[in-house]
Formats: sequence, C-alpha cells, structure tokens
Amino acid sequence: MLMRFARYSLAMLLLALAPVAAGQMAPTEGSGTQQSNDDVFSDELIFEGDLFNDDLFGDAFDGTEDSKEASWLDGFTLRLSQQLFWQVNNHSVEPLPGLRIPKDADLENNRLGLNFKYQNAFAPGWLLQSTGQARWYWKDDYEYQANNDNIDSEYRINELYLQRSFGQQSIKFGRQTVVWGETVGNSVLDVINHTEFRDFTIIDIEDARLNQWMLVWDVFSNGSQWSSFINLYPEFNPTAVPGSPFYANTGYNVGDYKRGSETLFEAGTQWRKSFERSDISFMTAYLYENQLSYDYPIEGYGDAVAVINDFVLVGFSANRAIDKLLLNLDLALSLGVQPKESSFPGITVVGSGLDSQKDQLGASLGVEYAISSDQSISLGVQANKVLNQRKTLSSQQTNVNDRIFGSWLVRYRNARSNGNLVISSTLQGDLATDSLFVSLGLDYAITDHWAVAGQIISTTANQQTPMVLFDADVRVGATVTYSF
Amino acid sequence: MKFFKTLGFIVISALAINLSAQELTGHAIMQAMEDTRRSTNDSSFTTIKLSSCKFGVNEDRIACAERPRVKVLESVAINYGKDNKDTKSVSITLEPAAERGIGMLTYGYDEAGRNNQTWLYLSALGRVKRIAGGDSDEETEPVSIFGSEFTTEDTDNGKLDEYTFTVPEETTESGRKVWKVEALPKAERAKKSRYSRTVHYIDQERYVVLRSEMYDKYGKEIKRLMASRVELVNDNWLARSVTMMNLVSNRLSNMAFVEIYIDLDINDAFLSQRTLTDTAYRETGLEQLREQTK
Repeated sequence: MLMRFARYSLAMLLLALAPVAAGQMAPTEGSGTQQSNDDVFSDELIFEGDLFNDDLFGDAFDGTEDSKEASWLDGFTLRLSQQLFWQVNNHSVEPLPGLRIPKDADLENNRLGLNFKYQNAFAPGWLLQSTGQARWYWKDDYEYQANNDNIDSEYRINELYLQRSFGQQSIKFGRQTVVWGETVGNSVLDVINHTEFRDFTIIDIEDARLNQWMLVWDVFSNGSQWSSFINLYPEFNPTAVPGSPFYANTGYNVGDYKRGSETLFEAGTQWRKSFERSDISFMTAYLYENQLSYDYPIEGYGDAVAVINDFVLVGFSANRAIDKLLLNLDLALSLGVQPKESSFPGITVVGSGLDSQKDQLGASLGVEYAISSDQSISLGVQANKVLNQRKTLSSQQTNVNDRIFGSWLVRYRNARSNGNLVISSTLQGDLATDSLFVSLGLDYAITDHWAVAGQIISTTANQQTPMVLFDADVRVGATVTYSF
Repeated sequence: MKFFKTLGFIVISALAINLSAQELTGHAIMQAMEDTRRSTNDSSFTTIKLSSCKFGVNEDRIACAERPRVKVLESVAINYGKDNKDTKSVSITLEPAAERGIGMLTYGYDEAGRNNQTWLYLSALGRVKRIAGGDSDEETEPVSIFGSEFTTEDTDNGKLDEYTFTVPEETTESGRKVWKVEALPKAERAKKSRYSRTVHYIDQERYVVLRSEMYDKYGKEIKRLMASRVELVNDNWLARSVTMMNLVSNRLSNMAFVEIYIDLDINDAFLSQRTLTDTAYRETGLEQLREQTK
C-alpha cells in the first residue's frame, strides 16, 4: 500500500511540476526582459523611480483595436482534472457490538474528469447555457472495482437551459438549480435541488447540487425580485454507488424511486427585497423530500421500497451587514416531513420510511467575518425541531429525532500571493456531537490554466450513529487541473 | 469596494484627493482633480486588465520575476445621488476562463459613515451573495481588489478634511513638473489607515498623480504607485496604466484601462442585482454598450 501511495504521489508531483516548469520557462509577459534572478530580492528593496519600466505592461494594450471575430466556440470553458484520493488509516469500525469491520488503507479515487461550460447569448435577450461532465475511472478507483476491474466512464449534463429575458421578466427552461437561503453551506432553505454526496471528495453542498428540469420565471422591479419555479419531474438524491465509501450493504437492494403513473411536481415562489445593508426573502413551496426513505421489502428480502414524501415549505431569510460582519438567518417551517436518522444527506437507512409525517421548524444562523483583506471565516449552525412529536404515534413508539437536532459548519479561507495560493479549512459536525468532519485544503494556481490542489479529510463518528462506518477515516487527496 | 465607484480613474485621483484642504494650493489642486474625476467617471464602460506578479530588479529595471497572472474585467458605472457623488458599478470577469462570469455589484456612497454595499455572484453558490468587510470608510481592514495589490484604501476618495498636508514642493517626476505633496491622516483617519503618511507627485499641468509612496507607522515605505500612459480621454487627462508595488511582499499589480468610454447612455436598472444573475439581460445590456462605443 505504501509503495502504491508513493508511486501515485510521485506521478502527481511530476504532473504538478510540469506546468510549473513550463511557467518558469515562459517569457515574462509585457516586460520584454529576461527572468529576474532571486538574488535581486531583498527585504529592504529600495529603488529610484527610473528603475520602473514605464511600459512594463505595455502589452496589455496590444491587440485591443483588432478584436477578433466572435465565434460560437468562444462560449466554451473546459476543465480537465486528474484526481487521486486515498483512505490512509488502517483501522476497523464496530457498527454493532461484536460486528467489527476492517477498513484497510486503500486508494479510493483515481479518475480523470472533464467539465465543460457553454454559454452563448446568441440573440438579444436570449441565452443558451449548458454545463456537463465526463468521468473516467482508472485502476483502483472504487468505480473501477465496481465495474469488475474494468475502466469505467460516466457522462452527465448538469445544466441545459434556454433563457429569454424581456422587459422586467426572465424565463428559463431546462435543467437548472434553484438555491434559496442566505446561510452558506447548511441552510434549512437550500432543499430544492437534490444532491449527490457520492464520496468524501465532495463535502460542500455547493459542489453536490444536481440540476432538475424546471421552468423558472423571474420578475424584477426596483430593488426586488419575484422568482417562481415549477418542476414537472422531481428527482431524488441518488443512492450510493457500490464500492463507494457511502455504500453500505444493508442486506437489501436500495435503489431509486420507481415511478408509477402518478404525476409528481414541485412548485415554489420567492420574493426578495434589498435594503441598505440588508436583504430579505419570503418563500413558499410544495416539494418532495430529496432524500428517499425506505421501507423493508414486502417479502422480507430483495428490493427495499423507496418512499417519497411531499411537504410544504414556508420560509424566510435575511442578512445584515455590520462592518466586517455579515449575519445570515434562514427560517423554515416544513409541514409534513419525515424525520431522518442522520443530519448528513446521502445516508440511507432502511426502515426509516416507517416514520409518520411531522411538522418541523428549522433555523440556520450564519456569521461571516472578514478577518483581513485575505482571510475570512464563516460559521453556520442549523437547528431543527419536530413540532408535533406525538402525533400519530402509539404509546410504544418514539420519534427518530425527539430533540433539537441539526449541524454546524465552520469554514476558514486564507488567500495568499494575490489569490494564487488558497488555504482553506472546513469543520462540520452535528449538534449531538455524533460526527465530525475536518478538512484541510490547499489550492495553488500555477498559471492562469494550471492548478494543483491537496486535501486532507478526517472523519470521526460515534458508534450509535450510521456515520460510525466512517469513524477514524483519514483521507488524503490531490488534484491537478487544467482550465481553458 | 469603492474601486468601481470611480472605475479606473480613481486610483489616480483618489490618492490625490486624500490631500487636505488646509493649503490653498493643495485645495486648488485637489478641487481640479475632483472635477476631472467626476466628469470622466460618469456613465462609463471600461475594459480593465489586471496583472499581478512577483517582481525584482533585472538589468536595472523593475521586472516581473514570474509570468504575470492576468484578469480581464468589464465594468460599467454611473454616478447618482446628491450632487452625483454616489456611484453604482458592476463588473464581470472575462478572464481567466476559470473565473469567467464572476460578477460584482457595488453601490458606493460619498457620505461619511454610510457603508458601501457589495454583492457577488458566483456560479458555484448559485445565488447572489452580499459581501461584508468591503468598506474602508469604516474601521475595517482594506479589501484587496480582485486579489491584486490594490486595496479599497488605495482607491478611496473624498473626505478631504480627514487629512492634513504639507506645503507643496515643486520637483520633477518622469520628466514632468510635479507638485510633491505629503498627506498626513488626522487622528480619526489614522485609526483606519494602514499608512502613516502618503507622498504624492502630481502633474502640474495635467492634474494626474504620477507617483505615490505609502509609509507605515514605522516610517518605512511599504507600497509605491507608478502611473504611466497619461492620455486625454474626453478632454480630461487619465493615466491608463497604474502599477502598485508592494515593497514588503515584492509583488506588484498593474491596472491597465485597456478600453474606456464615458458619457454613454446607461440604464440605471442595469446597475442592479439582475445583471449578476440574469445572463441574457446582462449580455444584451453589454452588447448595447459596445454598440455605443463603435
């Protein structure tokens, strides 16, 4: 294992160094001079004005007169990335007394990704936008192993919508996201999109959102916006892929919801108004819960029965800027939801579909603080409370969550060298202190095209929770990215 | 962030405007510059190239020691409010590709004690987000402008009574006759400022700052600004290339006003959050502005 880790590390290092070398050898743009020697730097650099090359960045003005003819291909932005991720801690977990599951250090992700974005305002008031991704899973990736040790691939269109804006209105139709709420990372109102937390390389909801086929209608007026959507094909959080860290063999087949002849739809509307130092929103929606619940198979074996649950959301959000502080508040009253066993989306528990519908009040409070021009820290706390706990329960039954439950999130970001080097950290846990994620990340933009990133993620969980399967996991990853 | 309240011109004019009105000569200089700034800033459409790099001295010249990181922005601004002293501005990142489409909307207020407002649109967030800490008027740390060596304090303007300044001296800079003026922040301003004093070299004929030196509280020069490519734009002089050198980190940023058009017909509604989120609307509006520049 160590040898394999070292081999992959060397490969990543070489990949990372290649663009560095390319960047170093490239001529300095605009200066027209040779590369400076590090010897010339000193802590007490003193120079006279005539040292300054009056036309150091003269190239910036070149070519502006002869703008090239626009092409529809100009709308493409592409990003290639190679990612490696290891679970590096040899240990075992004990989800049930006496049941100990070994977890060997192993490579989990070895994949190449291609992301594209296409944006074309092809006529006045019209826009076509699409984003998508392709993934190729190489040797030792868990998807490779799930594909009987063969290279696997996957393609997905994330966004694909057509937009028409006219007067004070805008209409967008196609695959898109709708994001509500002010609190970053764990808003109780950010529930419209379904999400896929396939593995621990994605722990931020911003990266996990999936798009849906929707019609969105916006009406703008002075300082306010009325936004409505209708979704005629609600989708649900996908189940974990066999072999992935989130996949747990429950003894039953846990699959997607099997659609019948019934018509499913979601709809909602939001009104947003900006004031000086503050924005507020009111919203309401008819939705389906994104995380499916499951009943036990009817015959006791085979396919677990996916259960969908519709509910009504009534919400309010606001922010307030106070000097270096930004306070965010989200409130959500959810009528007719099914309490979940885990606050972390993507965790599937068979049998949870047996719970009855409840009303739930949720609140997210966020604080963002600009420490300096380069550093910021944000804190978000989400708390939920089931309102009518005993409703429909017999005296022998108890609720999954009969206390205040939720999660907390702390993010820190430090940008160095004009933003070329970004150090970030995320801590995430639940209010019951049953689980804790700690992530340390480092992103370095070598050039305008090349970037490298490293990440360490540690997971800790109590034995009594579904998250125990990830207790004491330590993951280390690296990604090389080329954007153009 | 007040940078977009005055677009490119502010870097030049704002530094000079930080002078005080105690000296008649200084006040006259400042007033002339302020008038120029206001007349050139209104209803503007600008393409800005922002280049940053680590620098050193090579063959007796300041040079980038690495390939500069370049950002290209399109920016639109209008003046409004009492005496047209407030500004609304919106800027969109065109390059690099990884940051294309990132947008920032700023409402800047001239009134002392009134916070500027800034909203950011990041596609990853999927929504418009209000930004805190972007106002150097308050007791806040100056904010870097798009990750460059320019900060909100460097580009702030107005509030002349927050400074005292020395009697201007006549000297030369880049072959031009200039006034050398030292600006000292008064007590209240000093609490907010990173600089204990700033020395400006102001072109006597064109009312443009050609050079500024910023000193920390220990009297050490920590940043230096150099301006070049001074050209007439709509009968007003403007430095189209401004370089800020951080003498502590040995990094510099150049702000090149590649294209600049003023006195355009800009709809007030374009300077709204809709421009950040409604791409079809934004592109239509920008195309209309581009048509006006032809």
